[in-house]
Amino acid sequence: MSKQYLQTHTLPDAHPTDIFSLAVTSSQLLSASGSSSIRIHSTKGQVIHADSADDEHPYPLVQTLEKVHPLGCHHVCTSLDGKIAASSGFGGELKIWQCNEEGTWSAKSELKPDEKKAGEHWAVSLNESGQYLACTTHDGRINVYNTVATPPEKFAQYETKGSFGMSVDISPNGSMTACGHQNGGIYIFNNSTQRLAHSLSGLIKPVRSVKFSPANKYLAAAGDARIIALYDTQSGEQVANLTGHASWIMSLDWNWSGEFLLSGGFDGKAKIWSVERRECVATQTESEKCLWAVKWLPRSAAARNETFVAAGAGRTLCFYREASGT
Amino acid sequence: MNIDDDGLDHLLASDDILDFSSQETLQSSADEPFCMSEDELLLETHADTPGVDSFDELDVADYLGLSAVGLPQAASGALLPTTRQIQHDKLHPKKARLSKKQKASSFSHPQGSPRERIEAIFRQISTDLDDGEAEIGISLNMRSRQPLQSQAVLTADSSDTRIRSKRLSFPGRTEDEAWRFTIVIRILELIHGALCTGFTISKRDIYYRDPALFGNQRHVDRYVDDIAFTFGVPRSALNVTAMVKGLVAGAVSFCRRDGSTVTASGDREGLLVPSLKDILSVDLTSAKWVIVIEKEASFRSLAASSFWDRLSFEGVLITGKGYPDVATRALLRCFCTPSPQNGFASPPCFALVDHDPDGLAIMSVYKHGSIALAHESAELKVPQLQWLGLRDEHMTFATADAHASQGLLILSMRDRSKAKKMLERGVMQGDGSLAHKDDEEVSAALRVMLMLNIKAELQLLDAAPGGTAQLVGDELDRLALSVAKQQKYE
Repeated sequence: MSKQYLQTHTLPDAHPTDIFSLAVTSSQLLSASGSSSIRIHSTKGQVIHADSADDEHPYPLVQTLEKVHPLGCHHVCTSLDGKIAASSGFGGELKIWQCNEEGTWSAKSELKPDEKKAGEHWAVSLNESGQYLACTTHDGRINVYNTVATPPEKFAQYETKGSFGMSVDISPNGSMTACGHQNGGIYIFNNSTQRLAHSLSGLIKPVRSVKFSPANKYLAAAGDARIIALYDTQSGEQVANLTGHASWIMSLDWNWSGEFLLSGGFDGKAKIWSVERRECVATQTESEKCLWAVKWLPRSAAARNETFVAAGAGRTLCFYREASGT
Repeated sequence: MNIDDDGLDHLLASDDILDFSSQETLQSSADEPFCMSEDELLLETHADTPGVDSFDELDVADYLGLSAVGLPQAASGALLPTTRQIQHDKLHPKKARLSKKQKASSFSHPQGSPRERIEAIFRQISTDLDDGEAEIGISLNMRSRQPLQSQAVLTADSSDTRIRSKRLSFPGRTEDEAWRFTIVIRILELIHGALCTGFTISKRDIYYRDPALFGNQRHVDRYVDDIAFTFGVPRSALNVTAMVKGLVAGAVSFCRRDGSTVTASGDREGLLVPSLKDILSVDLTSAKWVIVIEKEASFRSLAASSFWDRLSFEGVLITGKGYPDVATRALLRCFCTPSPQNGFASPPCFALVDHDPDGLAIMSVYKHGSIALAHESAELKVPQLQWLGLRDEHMTFATADAHASQGLLILSMRDRSKAKKMLERGVMQGDGSLAHKDDEEVSAALRVMLMLNIKAELQLLDAAPGGTAQLVGDELDRLALSVAKQQKYE
């Protein structure tokens, strides 16, 4: 049984260059691109019925963090509670943002790049409260920072085999940190012991995305191997291979319930996978341009059906919603 | 002998901007072979250099002789440097330091041909020696190591005091300084010889005249360009070229100054890029496009493929084998900029470079000039150069093809920091200038490269169906189509 998704809205030219990363809070969507600004769109006002006037601008731009990453920004992430965000730029700088009650973001602190080491900070992930920030480096380390301090203090450092750290994720319950590397290596660290928990049988090729399921049970990993591997986070065993992408997989995201997995490919295809059935249930193709980031919007009370957003080389934010009645 | 007042004025002015305390930290030359004493060296200079005789009223040898007499310590080159230094200090107390500022030779003399100016410098040195000065010296303007954009501002306002000047003295404070002074004098003397005889010499020739003195090709390159910069002339005006390394092939023929004609369409191996000085005119009537290729290997494989049939009738291939030399850049500019010399042809020109930071940097050198030679970039730039490949979309097939994906390489640390530096430079010039849109294209490609952490070399295309030839052919058709559309639209 397949599901159907409809494109409900697009924001063309949301950024002047490739959109590299997306992050969400319960009411906002943060997007980062090769341009120097981070843009924040409101997702609060989404409507179900197309006949209301609001529908013309369901995702208004509410804030632009101007010129915060002079060379462009490659990763942005938010904490689950939506109060803290972190972004890393091509100049090697890392910035922490905080959100006030009105939903306005402001700078909290910054880690300057070390001149000699380009790409010291690459992929980023925050824990549930935003207190801890995990950050990969070009030489395969994972640095964990305490963001309460200004500037952020290094809290822990996890070592791997020295291959470029392309992706990182902290589990929703905060107990684990996972990272994916250029050489295909995937590691899970235990945050309380600060030790390696599992070195997972890798994908051999670069791992561009790792994501814990909402209940911390699974880790999904994908990349240039064009398959999505599911691992049991307790045993470290691989439990499934999801095949179907014809090109590199750039981005992964679990829906709120952990039933569905969303993936975006280098060839512009977005796929939705049923975790239970281990198969692809929907494929969306808007263009052949690389999808750098795909993200489910948190389920809001107003919406019966789930919405996801995809962005990439097309510079457009595309919103999709599951068609009713299936 | 007299120095004109003009020269002295200028000299004083240039002294004002001399700041001895902030003198550029000289790289230690301890590892350089330095075994020849100055007088030996200078005498040899005289012996093996043709053209010295044509020095009008001056004879280098006289000065060199004088230098040996006037500076007795220079003759004792066999002594250890420390001993020499001590001797020097004994013979010439602080007076030497004081007289230095008054007597800097007028290297930056604003008038006169390079030849006249070199002669003026030697004349000045001779006068100093006659007057029994303790120290002789020359001032060089240092080329900026700033990126191009600030350089452009700089040259626009020539009175800008940010041009750094450096004085080299003999015997100087250290052995290193004396050695550097000797290098500059030796190079000046070789350039003078070349200017007098009308022969062109290469930087490599200069090095081989005295490898023991120069130690390293780098030093020759650096000082030749510094001298050209100080004189405010292109290097070619000094009759000095880099080694010719570029190749050209296709539908172009050259008419040389000696009346002979040579065509590049007859030989798949390609012609060595000729010096523009020897070329009377370039016949580009059948050339519809010009492609610059980064690598010799790709140049050869393209010329050897079936693409040659098309190439020899309607296009020109040119390669600078990596970072291009001045001759290759000058020829490309000559091809693509309408002038009487090329029959007012302006075929569109395209760059085919590796998909890596160096490839894009090489394209940028053709397009906007290099930082090292920013002072003579204007006559070498080809701003209309378009980016043919390899672009992101050409790599797409490699992501699907398991065999071709082996042609994709991981970025090294050097690649990543190079890309970062290029992005920084690109951001600095984001001033809405004409080239801006193109440069944004390059910056975007660099970011994608960093994101994917992948680069690709031109050889990747050999794995594609049809190979490089297919890609180039397709791209040309596509571009020709878009140009035609645009013209129709206009």
